[in-house]
Amino acid sequence: MSRRVYLDHNASTPVHPEVLAEMLPFFAEIYGNPSSIHAFGRDARDGVDQARERIARFLQVSPQEIVFTSGGTESDNLGVKGLASARGRGHLITSSVEHHAVLRTCQVLEAQGFDVTYVGVDAHGMVDPDEVRHALRPDTIAISVMHANSEVGTLQPIGAIGRLARERSIPFHVDAVQTFGKIPLDVDALGIDVLSFSGHKIYGPKGIAGLYIRKGTKMVSIQHGGEHERRRRAGTENLPGIVGLGKAVEVRARDMQAEAERVAALRDRLWEGVRARVPEVRLSGHPTERLPGTASLLVRHVESESIVLGLDLKGIAVSAGSACTSGNVEPSHVLVAMGVPLDWAMGAVRCSLGRSTTAEDVDYVIESVDTVVRRLRQALPVGAA
Amino acid sequence: MRYSPTLVDHFLNPRNAGMMREPDGTGESEYAGCGDLTRFFLRVRHGRAVEVRFQTYGCGPTIAAASVASELGRGRTVDDLSRLTSGDVEEALEGLPENRKHAADVAAGALRAAAADWLSRRR
Repeated sequence: MSRRVYLDHNASTPVHPEVLAEMLPFFAEIYGNPSSIHAFGRDARDGVDQARERIARFLQVSPQEIVFTSGGTESDNLGVKGLASARGRGHLITSSVEHHAVLRTCQVLEAQGFDVTYVGVDAHGMVDPDEVRHALRPDTIAISVMHANSEVGTLQPIGAIGRLARERSIPFHVDAVQTFGKIPLDVDALGIDVLSFSGHKIYGPKGIAGLYIRKGTKMVSIQHGGEHERRRRAGTENLPGIVGLGKAVEVRARDMQAEAERVAALRDRLWEGVRARVPEVRLSGHPTERLPGTASLLVRHVESESIVLGLDLKGIAVSAGSACTSGNVEPSHVLVAMGVPLDWAMGAVRCSLGRSTTAEDVDYVIESVDTVVRRLRQALPVGAA
Repeated sequence: MRYSPTLVDHFLNPRNAGMMREPDGTGESEYAGCGDLTRFFLRVRHGRAVEVRFQTYGCGPTIAAASVASELGRGRTVDDLSRLTSGDVEEALEGLPENRKHAADVAAGALRAAAADWLSRRR
């Protein structure tokens, strides 16, 4: 099988050639420690500063409000723990469909004595801002809701939740790992105080991410050992990574709009094609308020991993909504929270498109999904599933 | 995760998949951990399984395990089938990753259950 189609851009993306070119000198030519005061260090510092400025310009914030981290997971940990720990005790509100980087962090905070309310979502995976309002308590110290869900692509009503937070001066953290650099994002208009973003979802390198922290937001660091990042995140800066992230953001600022339109059209082509050919298939997530490149399919009575394997053998990379790890499979917590019935949820397959995706790729995927699902359904006519 | 060529072949081209009318023995096995379910049907003549068919719901390895087990079973005595082990199925698949061992358990368990069904019907 020579044809290879990568439809897992929500998991990771290839580094953009312009990003790679920008990064290369920062491995062996410009390699000083940005904290060093000599020329080698100053050159490295210039690279970090330029990247910080590029990101700040993109978000229309001040460079001092950007902190670099090692990944989206660290950004979420720092965002949520940093806000909670700065207050010491109290109540947090988050949603039941957050990434585990937020959910598990909240669970850890619960074990430390914080209270957490996990608001639910509707059948489209959307949080109801009214539910957030009802969850508010006098001791609510932070709200954390993701911008878009990585599995189903639903965009959350961040602006409405941000207004609630603003009215009560409660700091608002948003995990924007899946939206940053993909759709417009205005932290002031949306009332966001802390924002997680990542490099490798937007054609930057892995191992680099960041956090926007609005000036004046009370946060404590969770990693200690140096004065880096204005004492908000200790550790020598990942210089090539930071440079790459800065360039990736600059490229996204240029290409984002056109690509979002192109990718959304391809996503619709994919869904329309699959729907026309495959019986008993649904699109999960919100019909309109969704990420441009995400199509999460629910294939009834077929197990998602078998579809993923079938497509993999045809050179197509997609991801399974339910993962059988150590012989224990659970449908994704997102689909469970959305109330998707088990016979559909177990057949969840996420296709996430990106800048390399072509119409020919999409047509090949449609045909392959049809073939694979048809074959699997013939082999598995067990109604009990 | 890397699967053996044999496993991939059985996943892509399952042998003996489908149901059987009026079988002489049927049996099921389920792996509650992930909802995998396999059902075997036997056609028995003179104490031998002359036809073995299956239905299954599960991940790729589970489908492949049922398919390979159906080939292992055909032509064998039912007594033999009642002693089929997960190890036999796994060996025929040329190995399974550690976290997919249950695929062989489900297939072997369902085939043993079908054998036990025939043996009990005969009594």
